[in-house]
Amino acid sequence: MQLLLGILLTLHMSIVVAGNGPDEVYVENAIFRLRLIPRTPQQMAAFYEARGFPQGAIDRLKRACFVTALLRNKGTEVLWLALDDWRFDSDDGPIARLDRAYWGALWRQLDIPQANRSTFRWTLLPEVRDLQPDEHVGGNIVLPRHEGRFTVRARFITGEQRRGKESVATLKDLRCAEDEVNP
Amino acid sequence: MRRLALALVWTAALATCAANAQDGTLPKGLMALDGGPAPALKLYDMDGESFDLTDARGHWVFVHFWASWCQPCRREMPTIQRMATRMETTSLEVVLVNTAETDDTVFGFLGIVAPELPTLMDRDGLVTERWQPRGLPSTFLVDPSGRLRFLALGGREWDSADYLEFLRKLVAPPP
Repeated sequence: MQLLLGILLTLHMSIVVAGNGPDEVYVENAIFRLRLIPRTPQQMAAFYEARGFPQGAIDRLKRACFVTALLRNKGTEVLWLALDDWRFDSDDGPIARLDRAYWGALWRQLDIPQANRSTFRWTLLPEVRDLQPDEHVGGNIVLPRHEGRFTVRARFITGEQRRGKESVATLKDLRCAEDEVNP
Repeated sequence: MRRLALALVWTAALATCAANAQDGTLPKGLMALDGGPAPALKLYDMDGESFDLTDARGHWVFVHFWASWCQPCRREMPTIQRMATRMETTSLEVVLVNTAETDDTVFGFLGIVAPELPTLMDRDGLVTERWQPRGLPSTFLVDPSGRLRFLALGGREWDSADYLEFLRKLVAPPP
């Protein structure tokens, strides 16, 4: 009962607002601050091209939907980020993340250099992280590119042993950012 | 037997150093590690000079992983350069490891933000993978027996009074 009250209180206190960018959203409460920033294919291509990624890899990256996540633990306890606890839903149903295993297999298939694989891994949001108080983490979440809006339901648990409060943030109206079309 | 006694005295001295450095609380953003052995670290810098962590036994080593694309690295690097200058007369060894970038990229970046700092080149990123930092940037403090003692979370102001005092206590010889 106490846990339920805690969840309800946390949910109630969360503030979800549009961020600085046109498609950016963030949620903030006493426990964490989470910003989600959709990136355009051009932005991602420019970033990885500048790091020497081969064209074959760039082409595949441009087909995906990148969202940069910036998360800070604002509480006094450990905050657990576990991406498997997050849900991504569109009107058509759940969206499966393109996770590290997906990219690892693709890079092997394309035989891209080890340095590029390493850089790519470091630019992804960690799958699991025990964020210490005031610690922050950032990185990309990658989804299949699709039309329309989607919702992210991000679930967190606090406590060193993952037995503390649960907190769920629902961020609606996100979309995969599109390149600007010049007239 | 004598060797064992010496080893015990040495370990106790190290523990005293670490404990001295931990008097009070650790500087914000630094966490103590369990003292497991540091992973292997043997790399070359851009001039072809090699570095092997095992050769650094006997003094504390500041091992910093970074990449030019990481925003906090850009802010943190000048503070590392100033800290390294301030700690020059101590036994602290400052070792930078660039993760999976080219000489041109690294040269262009360091030339602007911290021209005095040399860096090792983890060209394929595999050494970084072995160390498993929590992200980039990440800094480990390795004790004189080659064990992981502290980890800095994200970018830190290494030339701030808190950190300089902490590092000085760390490398101070036992009383």
